[in-house]
Amino acid sequence: MKRAEIGRLSARARLFLLILPPLTALAALCVGRIPLAPVEVLRSVAAHLGAGYELNANTEQVLWSMRFPRILLALLTGAGLAVSGCAFQSLFSNPLATPDTLGVASGSCFGAALAILIGWGILGVQALALVFGVVALGLSWLAGRGRGRGMNTIILAGIMIGSLFTALVSLVKFVADTESQLPAITYWLMGSLNSASYTTLAMGAPLILIGLVIVYLLRWRLNILPLPEDEARTSGVSLRGLRIVTILCATAMTAACVSMCGQVGWVGLLVPHICRMRFGSNHLSLVPASVSLGAAFMVVVDTLARTLTAASIPISVLTAIIGAPFFILLLRRSGGWEL
Amino acid sequence: MMLSVENGCYKYPKSERQILKDICFELDEGQLLAILGPNGAGKTTLLRCVMGLLKWEKGVSRLEGRDIRRIPNRELWQTVAYVPQAKAAAAIYTTEEMILLGRSSRFGLLAQPKEEDMDVVRQVMERLHIQHLAGRKCSEISGGELQMVLIAKALAAEPRVLVLDEPESNLDFRNQLLILDAISSLTAEGMTCVFNTHYPAHALQRADRALLLSRDGGFRFGPTAEVVTEAHIEQAFGVKAVIGEIETPDRVLRDVIPLSLSSEAAAVTGLAADRRSIAAIAVIAHDFARAEEINSLLHEYGEHVIGRMGLPYRPGGVHVITVTLDAPASRVQELVTRLDRLPGVSVKATYAKDKEEAPIG
Repeated sequence: MKRAEIGRLSARARLFLLILPPLTALAALCVGRIPLAPVEVLRSVAAHLGAGYELNANTEQVLWSMRFPRILLALLTGAGLAVSGCAFQSLFSNPLATPDTLGVASGSCFGAALAILIGWGILGVQALALVFGVVALGLSWLAGRGRGRGMNTIILAGIMIGSLFTALVSLVKFVADTESQLPAITYWLMGSLNSASYTTLAMGAPLILIGLVIVYLLRWRLNILPLPEDEARTSGVSLRGLRIVTILCATAMTAACVSMCGQVGWVGLLVPHICRMRFGSNHLSLVPASVSLGAAFMVVVDTLARTLTAASIPISVLTAIIGAPFFILLLRRSGGWEL
Repeated sequence: MMLSVENGCYKYPKSERQILKDICFELDEGQLLAILGPNGAGKTTLLRCVMGLLKWEKGVSRLEGRDIRRIPNRELWQTVAYVPQAKAAAAIYTTEEMILLGRSSRFGLLAQPKEEDMDVVRQVMERLHIQHLAGRKCSEISGGELQMVLIAKALAAEPRVLVLDEPESNLDFRNQLLILDAISSLTAEGMTCVFNTHYPAHALQRADRALLLSRDGGFRFGPTAEVVTEAHIEQAFGVKAVIGEIETPDRVLRDVIPLSLSSEAAAVTGLAADRRSIAAIAVIAHDFARAEEINSLLHEYGEHVIGRMGLPYRPGGVHVITVTLDAPASRVQELVTRLDRLPGVSVKATYAKDKEEAPIG
């Protein structure tokens, strides 16, 4: 390794990570109940970019109203969840931290369940999920903060707030109408990208994009987070500021993801660790790798979810079924990892 | 003046004990300060207060005369660098990644390290002779190597003050020497260094200034030879120790050898248990003018002197004086230290062995 490249990705890795998500997305555009030839898809893409091809109206409908928003949503949530998982693990120097460590996902789930119970539409569900995600973070922060208390206190507070909201979700399910509301809530909680549309995206995507951009820009600085407290404080960067920005970005991304497609487990734990094993713990390469692999992984899983059976399989089920064995395989081959 | 503390007091919240009381010291550029004291006396707390990581309850730390808590974060950590104890480091990075993190204070928040930052990493590694560690993970190297990497990380910030928390603890002889030599050569180049240590000998051999903390919050600060004495060590640590000199072909090393625990009473009153002993002090003055000063100094210890002899040796240009004393060991040590400080005067004390310590046969 040349010294000038400390912590940077090799050119080959960079190229691979750059073309992986678009390629996966392109492949996913072809697959579905109406299979489309790659040529057809490429033609349509080119036409949208200004080339003059003749297009089939049906194909257009399938591609751009149904598949494309869904794939876009998968790309965004995959990247968002992976990066926020990665940020939380470094923030808490804890390899088991996930986007839900501060109770954000549980809070969002409660918000969504509550909205379904009240009978609000999809946008209402999304909005309330966002609101309660932020509320959960606020409660964890209030419960865990204080002078001289470490990040561990905040983790514990987060776990407590998380279980509080999980209990509240159960309460909502208990009082929900068993004919219509309960299945809706249960199905929503298992996670699905069925609701993908440009309107859903309009509310959630900006939050994920803002979070991604900020974390990406700060990526070298994130290396300070896992250091012991005094070492981090003497680095010349405001540790408090860096922590707050990281928590806010990770929370915004998680809440936005959950609000759009329900609880998608595993991605936030799995993808960052795969990246750590493969590319090392330097965030200079870890963050871009998580964005790329997270996005690609989610597109693959969602494509399987909508094509394997007639009714689409809940996404959480698939992330675990695909993710767990793959993860264990990698873990055994790489001889473990540390944080 | 580079670094100073005025009337620093500190007490942990929810604790009764005043851990640090009215600490005062001053350090000039290029000086090396050793902080000594028993476990729990507050050595690390003192370091953290000095750097502003903990807020003094009362008092202030100054960097070149400015209150350290008013210096902007980034500017402060460009000037001061901190080397924590090696055991606490996060081990997930490679040595180069770790050292590069030392550059954090040198460029803007959103900027990435540049070619010149990589150059600094390379230079610092060469400076400390650890190029061979390049590319290895911090979790895979030895404790001594990790300590060197952490010092390299601190140096990468190009600081003017270096603060080290027990840099040579848990290391073997060779690694201790490596670390101490590195610190000595840094101070020789004008770096101001402060370090905590469990080894009074390291303070005696390396430091210009010493600060000795006691469990009761008291402290002594001054030139090392005045602070690290047998009497003060007994007072602070409750341990009887002798300070001896070991002569090697090219220098004289001072060493501290712990003998036994003082009795409880001795630890409290300090000098009470000081045993009387017979000592002969040999003095060689290279300057006849010093003879007068030596005489007046000896006069102060008149009550203990049981015999003295002066021998001017003009062909050799020296004046040899032998003094025999019957005095508490600490008084003898005090006299030796004061004589030793006179320019052009060599001095050495020999103590009579106790009867029970006499060699058998």
